[in-house]
Amino acid sequence: MKNLSGNSIKECVQNLFFKPRVLVVDDEIRIQEACKRLLTEEGCDVEIAENGIKGLKMLEEKHFDILLLDLMMPGMSGFDVLTDVKAHHPDTVVIVITGYATLEHSVETMKKGAFDFLPKPFSPQELRVIICKAIEFIRTLQDIATEKSRMRVMINTLTEGVLTTDNQKRIALANPAFLKMIGCRKTAIIGHNITEFITDPKLLEVIDRAVHQPENTFSEITEEIIIPKGKDEIIIGIRCIPFQDRLNRNLGSITVFHDITDLKKINQMKSDFVSMVAHEIKSPLNSVLMQLNVILDGLAGALTEKQKEILKRVSDRINSVTQLSSELLDLSKIESGLINQDREELNLIELIKGQVEGYREKAEAESIHLSIKDSAKEVYMMGNRMNIEEVVSNLISNAIRYSPNGGEILVWTDEKSDCLAIKVSDTGLGIPAKDLDHIFDRFYRVKNEKTRYINGTGLGLAIVKNIVEAHHGTIQVDSTEGKGACFSVIFPKSEYKLCS
Amino acid sequence: MSNKQLILVVDDDPDLVEAVSMKLEALEYRVSRAYDGEEAMEKIKEEKPFLVILDVMMPRKNGWEVCDEIKKADHLKDIIVVLLTAVADSVRTTSYTHHDGKTTLADDYVPKPIDLDKLMEIIDSYCN
Repeated sequence: MKNLSGNSIKECVQNLFFKPRVLVVDDEIRIQEACKRLLTEEGCDVEIAENGIKGLKMLEEKHFDILLLDLMMPGMSGFDVLTDVKAHHPDTVVIVITGYATLEHSVETMKKGAFDFLPKPFSPQELRVIICKAIEFIRTLQDIATEKSRMRVMINTLTEGVLTTDNQKRIALANPAFLKMIGCRKTAIIGHNITEFITDPKLLEVIDRAVHQPENTFSEITEEIIIPKGKDEIIIGIRCIPFQDRLNRNLGSITVFHDITDLKKINQMKSDFVSMVAHEIKSPLNSVLMQLNVILDGLAGALTEKQKEILKRVSDRINSVTQLSSELLDLSKIESGLINQDREELNLIELIKGQVEGYREKAEAESIHLSIKDSAKEVYMMGNRMNIEEVVSNLISNAIRYSPNGGEILVWTDEKSDCLAIKVSDTGLGIPAKDLDHIFDRFYRVKNEKTRYINGTGLGLAIVKNIVEAHHGTIQVDSTEGKGACFSVIFPKSEYKLCS
Repeated sequence: MSNKQLILVVDDDPDLVEAVSMKLEALEYRVSRAYDGEEAMEKIKEEKPFLVILDVMMPRKNGWEVCDEIKKADHLKDIIVVLLTAVADSVRTTSYTHHDGKTTLADDYVPKPIDLDKLMEIIDSYCN
């Protein structure tokens, strides 16, 4: 904006990628020459017409960015020229020059679409200022046009569907990918209400929720919808977000559609495969374990103490292989990004209570005091129930295994404005500093004389970390060797207040 | 032979059937064995066991179907059914495990891998 008050058009023109073309239509030779000299010096292409008819003819022949137009001319009047220019050359910016700088005149010319108004006589400086202003205006228009065209090409080439609505749920933009997904062949849908083209109740509800989101909040709504397509159906992941003006009022919604049919199919195949493998490996192992149990019970004849001891060790080893096979399968599922995507609102306090109850017996057997630190209010998060349960379960089970008898384990939640945390602390063996960086690595186990008799696969924390990261969270650990450890799992809140 | 109740053990894994049966016999139950759903149905009708230990994933006729048939027949519905479900660990995400024993007509369920001692406790609680 500094250019408006500056005195050089050159400065203005510098950032322009074209040389502004100016047409001066005036019957006064003095004005023609003055304008031509000054504007040429400033870097414009200037041409002259001494009357309206000629001016219009020149405009027909080529485009002029700026027209300096005298109102009072013999023959065709400036008003008529202005009307014609606005009708046929809307992109030309018209500046009216007049010796009769009355209010009525200015109002009338502005009404007819003049950009501005230059009273005679004018100083070179006045001319410069007004031309600078016009060039700025042209540039802004051009920027908008460039931006629009860039956006249009971008959105139309996306393979994801994009649907934009205003806050009355009228369609403002719908790209070809979206129309293809919903199987809409009509093209003139802009401005129509979404209910005229969209029947899926889930999608309608999501858009409705987005445009009615309270001021100052900004959250992405995600959902999966199923659209029938011939004999088959396609599954589409949708993400809907409201967009707001500078005062955080909702202007409308933007919905992005991603076809996840193939992903879902692969997911199902993988899941089926995993369950098949799990069944094939674990069933026989389990069968072996049960037969060992029968022998250990003496049902197949009396055993010596030595035989019992050996069979007990065999059982333990088979148990850990079974455990390893389940964890490996879990990990492979998670690492290939195929963990269960079904997310729901989870009451974390309830979830933690459930897990703590599940481990109570085990903790008590080792005289470990396992408890929940009360939190002031309820804490909710969007997540996959099974995954988050697994995180909590893993952390508690670790805490128990690495705590000597009589230890204390605390589980609690913590909430901040933009994130929430699940914490599990224990008074157990702690983690040596040199191991801290590696405990989340696959198959890494802290090995020393104290941990030698603790069973584990070295996969638990790797699984936890993967799940946490799939939920956009992080995991941290604070520990001093010999003084216990505290694990913190931190998740961003799905809905947060925008800072104003 | 003891005179305690008759229990039918059904699983397509004969080793598992044998291990469970031996435990039951050691507790002095009378035991009958079947290795798929069809065979189980035949034995149930013929022998009228007091309790059936029933695997879910089996060839020919699965455990859900056998359970439904028992519970929907007037003369069989008093037979106690304990399902063996593979809810555990990685198998738990597959579709069939969404019914856990509690949502079926079965009286009880024990997750696989089976804890034999726990299974015996449950059986005892129904038979005593």
